[in-house]
Amino acid sequence: MTARLERLRDWLRECTPLSLVILAAGGAALAIGILGTLVFLALEGLTPSTELVETLTSQSEGAILYTAIALGVAAIGSGFLLYKRMPTKAAREASVSGAALGLQAVLFALLLLWFRSGEKFDIFVRLFFSFDVLGPFVDQFLNAAKNTIVMAFLAQALGMVLGLFLAMLVLSNRVAVRAPARAYINFMRGTPLLVQLLIGYLGIVTGLGFREVSVFATATVILGLNAGAYTAEIFRAGIQSLERGQMEASRSLGMSYLQAMRYVVVPQAVRRVIPPLTNEFVILIKDTSLVAFLGLSFVQRELLAWGRDAYAETFNSTPFLVATVGYLLVTLPLIRAVSALERKLRSGLVGIGA
Amino acid sequence: MNQDGSLVRLENIHKCFGDNLVLKGIDLAVKPEQVVVVIGPSGSGKSTLLRTINLLEEPTQGRVWFNGTNLTDIRTDLNKMRTQIGLVFQSFNLFPHKTAMGNITVALRKVLKLSDGEARERALEQLEHVGLREKADAYPSQLSGGQQQRVAIARALAMRPKLMLFDEVTSALDPELVKEVLDTMKRLADEGMTMVVVTHEMGFAREVGTRLLFMDDGKVLEDGQPKSIFSNPTDERTKEFLSHVL
Repeated sequence: MTARLERLRDWLRECTPLSLVILAAGGAALAIGILGTLVFLALEGLTPSTELVETLTSQSEGAILYTAIALGVAAIGSGFLLYKRMPTKAAREASVSGAALGLQAVLFALLLLWFRSGEKFDIFVRLFFSFDVLGPFVDQFLNAAKNTIVMAFLAQALGMVLGLFLAMLVLSNRVAVRAPARAYINFMRGTPLLVQLLIGYLGIVTGLGFREVSVFATATVILGLNAGAYTAEIFRAGIQSLERGQMEASRSLGMSYLQAMRYVVVPQAVRRVIPPLTNEFVILIKDTSLVAFLGLSFVQRELLAWGRDAYAETFNSTPFLVATVGYLLVTLPLIRAVSALERKLRSGLVGIGA
Repeated sequence: MNQDGSLVRLENIHKCFGDNLVLKGIDLAVKPEQVVVVIGPSGSGKSTLLRTINLLEEPTQGRVWFNGTNLTDIRTDLNKMRTQIGLVFQSFNLFPHKTAMGNITVALRKVLKLSDGEARERALEQLEHVGLREKADAYPSQLSGGQQQRVAIARALAMRPKLMLFDEVTSALDPELVKEVLDTMKRLADEGMTMVVVTHEMGFAREVGTRLLFMDDGKVLEDGQPKSIFSNPTDERTKEFLSHVL
């Protein structure tokens, strides 16, 4: 962190005052436009939604937006006109960045100005930003978020065990071993997950009368069986990406094929496939939303089922917005972790350490 | 030992990769304590021949005898036999997720079923032997090429093999690192290890080899004392090859 700060300080030192003015103008335009609006909204009150409409259509908000536009246009104009004359690379970067920030501010302000002049603006705000309707559902939201995470984790665990097993079968030299695993993977990857869920729950569990089996359990297993197919392909690619010499060295030390896999090949392959596996997990988290279509019991609802039930009671879309944010809260850190890990893998730092 | 007193005996070995015939009928008997050096132009089949000895390449035709056992018999327990044949590769092929110690001990523990303590002891002994005892806890990425190759040699030696195979083990090394590896091999030869060495190091062939094979186009064209072959090659192609490399 300190190294990053030092780099920033060096960079600032190389900028000319004029370029910094442009950068500041663009940054201020965006800050006033977005942050100013948000702070203004918070000060005036977020509920009820009529209050939001009133704030957003007020003259004060207009002043905020026009200020942002004026600053933004100034940053765009000066940034694009002057960047070629900047004496240092840092100064050039600063002026182009200022222009880019200014452009974003202008676009945001114009969009909001256009939006608030629309005749259904108040209905739109009421439908998506009525935070007061959430009251009775807040407790259940946390429970639903927990259910989503638990379901995704269990399914991913099942998927990884199954996937590794399937990958080993698919890599076999013998067609008789390979073919059934390949058929399973192709079936699971070739049919929609929603269909699999419906067949599994409505067709088998309900149809055959296994009353004691919950939707949650069924869905978790089917999600895991589905994830197994995708995970198998990831593991297969990871194992095949290892140099042949690793297997040859193991075999020439007297290890059997399975020993070589277990002690040499798979441990290395697992490390290589952590990024794609995490991506797959992100997809799985989102796919848990399909389970809402099966009709979960009250305490077993995941995020979307929660949102839909809350919508059904209030006829308001705010719960959907909240559910969306709920998914992002889980997926964004994972997505960031994947990029960080990929950077590390590229730099070769992972691979050291057992 | 085989019936004829040899440790390795290849009989009429042929090897095809698809339509490409790489080995065209090789007969070879290696006696205990011999250091057989195999030279020849690239693509002549030297490495394939070497890898046939521990059946990493399965011959298309012909038989491989090792220490009285027919390796090409499908009923032979190859995993068990391979513990007696050490192979060192051009590209080291150390396990990057394990330390030098871990590289050496994994087969000792999992294949030879030694206890952790015995395996560590044997590994340290071999690391000492190649002069890398202090690198026991280093990962391959923390070692130079020459050090990695010496760990690879120690890994093979720790199995206490009867035969060591070296497949162009210095070809991937920077020139200044070649010597430390060749010195290790020379000491091994001096200790009486039976070795088959595929190499481009003509100095090593001359100094350390007790027998020299020249291969070209899948056949052994010359087989004899290194010194006499170097000073007096009989085959035209040997002459041509030696005039290029010496």
